[in-house]
Amino acid sequence: MHVVKFLRRTFLATAFAATAIGSQAQEYGGTFVYIVQPEPPSLASYLSTSGPIGLVAPKIYDGLFDYDNDLNIVPALAESYEVSDDGKTVTFNLRQGVSWHDGEPFTSADVQFTVMEVLKKVHPRGPNSFREVDSIDTPDEHTAVFNLENPAPYMLRALSGYESPIVPKHLLEGQDPRSADLANNPVGTGAYKFTEWKKGQYVRLDKNENYWREGLPYLDRIVGRFIPDASTRTAAMENGEVMYGAYGAIPNIDAVRLREIDGISVTTDGYSMINPMSLIEFDTTEPPFDNPEIRKAISLALDRSFLIDNIWFGYGKPATSALSSNFAATDLYKAGLPVYAPNANVEEAKAILDAAGFEPDASGVRATAVLDLIPYGEDWRRAGEYMKQALGDVGIELELRYEDVPTWLKRVYADYDFAMNVNYFYQLPDPVLGVHRHYGTDQIRQGTHFVNSSRYSNPELDSLLSAGATEADAGKRSEIYGQIQEILADDMPVVNLFEMEFLTVYNDKIKDHATSALGAYGPFERVWLEQ
Amino acid sequence: MVGFWTRFRRNRSAVLGLLILAFVILIAATAQIIFPEDPFRLAGQAMAPPGESGFLLGSDSLGRDVAAGMAHGAKTSLLIGLLATIVAVTVGVLMGALAGYYGGWIDDLLMRTTEMFQTIPSFIFAILLVAIMKPSIESIVIAIAVVSWPAVARLVRGEFLSLKNREFVQACHTLGMSDIRIMLGEILPNCLSPIIVIGSLMVATAILIESGLAFLGLGDPNIMSWGFQIGAGRTLLRSAWWVCTFPGIAILITVLAINLVGEGLNDALNPRLRERT
Repeated sequence: MHVVKFLRRTFLATAFAATAIGSQAQEYGGTFVYIVQPEPPSLASYLSTSGPIGLVAPKIYDGLFDYDNDLNIVPALAESYEVSDDGKTVTFNLRQGVSWHDGEPFTSADVQFTVMEVLKKVHPRGPNSFREVDSIDTPDEHTAVFNLENPAPYMLRALSGYESPIVPKHLLEGQDPRSADLANNPVGTGAYKFTEWKKGQYVRLDKNENYWREGLPYLDRIVGRFIPDASTRTAAMENGEVMYGAYGAIPNIDAVRLREIDGISVTTDGYSMINPMSLIEFDTTEPPFDNPEIRKAISLALDRSFLIDNIWFGYGKPATSALSSNFAATDLYKAGLPVYAPNANVEEAKAILDAAGFEPDASGVRATAVLDLIPYGEDWRRAGEYMKQALGDVGIELELRYEDVPTWLKRVYADYDFAMNVNYFYQLPDPVLGVHRHYGTDQIRQGTHFVNSSRYSNPELDSLLSAGATEADAGKRSEIYGQIQEILADDMPVVNLFEMEFLTVYNDKIKDHATSALGAYGPFERVWLEQ
Repeated sequence: MVGFWTRFRRNRSAVLGLLILAFVILIAATAQIIFPEDPFRLAGQAMAPPGESGFLLGSDSLGRDVAAGMAHGAKTSLLIGLLATIVAVTVGVLMGALAGYYGGWIDDLLMRTTEMFQTIPSFIFAILLVAIMKPSIESIVIAIAVVSWPAVARLVRGEFLSLKNREFVQACHTLGMSDIRIMLGEILPNCLSPIIVIGSLMVATAILIESGLAFLGLGDPNIMSWGFQIGAGRTLLRSAWWVCTFPGIAILITVLAINLVGEGLNDALNPRLRERT
């Protein structure tokens, strides 16, 4: 039985949090202004995982769980849960007395409807997170029983208000969730109620007086401002017009400058849930990158520390495996693999190329390729310019290509008209949720974004991936993922570059904004403002 | 020719412009000798201030030499300026000559087309063209030429309209010369001076457009240019001012020099202003 253990851990965590902040008394009231960049297309977090939606919607919608900074489960709409011994039945005991912002009571029917009819059908990652869920029973209004086909331990990490928001059945039933009005007028159970969205300017949320966490939230109002220009955002942060900017809203170069100013701080906390990893994808079906040796040589020729220090201003960690070292917490990360190095090893890279038959021609060129760059800003262009130089040193001549987002997505994920592509992926709190999509043969899904565009297919790896997804025993699971990482280090269908660290820049008057693993994608229910 | 140079020299600022321009051309021509390495090469310490770590004008966020970038960028800027101008002037002269010489429905057709191009704001049109084509040196030259030719066409049409009824042209008709020979051999040489002047000014505009495109990230990512340097250094302005300041000054001075030379050419070639001052 997990329940007792789970509750005890929660009490400990709460007690610890209380002593840690005990020296300062929380204050009520105030308006919290933060940057939402870019403006979200809608507020339908049940339809899209787009970043800016995550900055707003989780304040309105709750999940069954929240997670603390060490990824421990914190109860939210589910007060506790039980997993049966065979791992195939998960029972959630739901909180009583919770109501939607429109006054209707929240019940187990909402949970059943959300998972079966919405998340499993229209959410980008939901079909994967809940793929083992056959049906959900609702024996009473406050109990939801998930019946699983196979054990799915990773599912318990995908139940936050950002990843799997619980939506009101009475406002969506009988409609197509893709076109329902709820997308622009969200009604949730969260700490803040949606009030107003002025397109092009701001979105405003007001305090939910009937919030189920007693005494919370502290703030009267939160306002998300849309400011398209990066230097204007920095100036707004500097003069106190906005108090909080996350996910690179303030460029690193400005963040390291603002860090030195009194009253403004910078943190990398609040991103442990998403685990971003930058990488290079290859077309593994065409020469020259159908040969794993050249991919390994590229991994060795690139100086990961140079990228981190000079382009991301020290924020990031060199990748040492296909999995982020953050998975060490769940014992899935394997250290000490070869061919990943923080600093470039040009000689070894050349030796590998020589041995693999990539001989240099008269001008020293062994292979040529076009390098596509993720069009998400200047940093990636600088990275491309660096790679062109670094790989030129080992005889791989690159031409850079930088296009707009739709053209790039279409080129890489629909047309497969690329050779090498710099990109980044969220590895999320469990490899099943964020890593499998990159390597599995079943993840070669032409037209779907951010899946296996390398078209790498290895039956041995496929069977390990499915074993890893359903294995309930932690020790065996760790062993399986160890083997997976060895295979991936050997075949290198993707060259992992570095574990990215996003920055949150905030005004020191803002307190307790990073209490959740979700950080800026979290509910903000404990945030308070020093007046 | 001697008369031309005497008249040109009379305009002091034009001579200054010519000297500056000659210097820029010299730098562009010898860039490969002064800075034999690839300007994209990571030459050393990142964000080194001017004069330190062996960088005359400092280095950018990746440790690339700003001075080397500027020398190689001069080549790109002048090359694009010249190429785009040649294309634009050729197209413009052709359109303007046909419209002005033949008149009638040809004139209507060509001038309505020209007006269509002129109603679109030229820089936005150039952005659109480069965004549709892949950003490369060819697409940038094409985009600049496409937005620049209408001005030439209008000018040449005006000149042809006023010249085609002069006696010497009518005499050519009487002699039985072909239309093409009259246009190219008789009328065109007589309107060459305004074309040269507008062409020289167009080089300056072309350099500005190219820099603007590169600044917005629509330059050829494989070729060093001044606009690229400014775009790449823009975010560093408050921590490494030199990265975009020096290329910015280079653009300012070069464009100014070309404009001064254009002005001088106008004074020297335009007979109606010959006795000015």
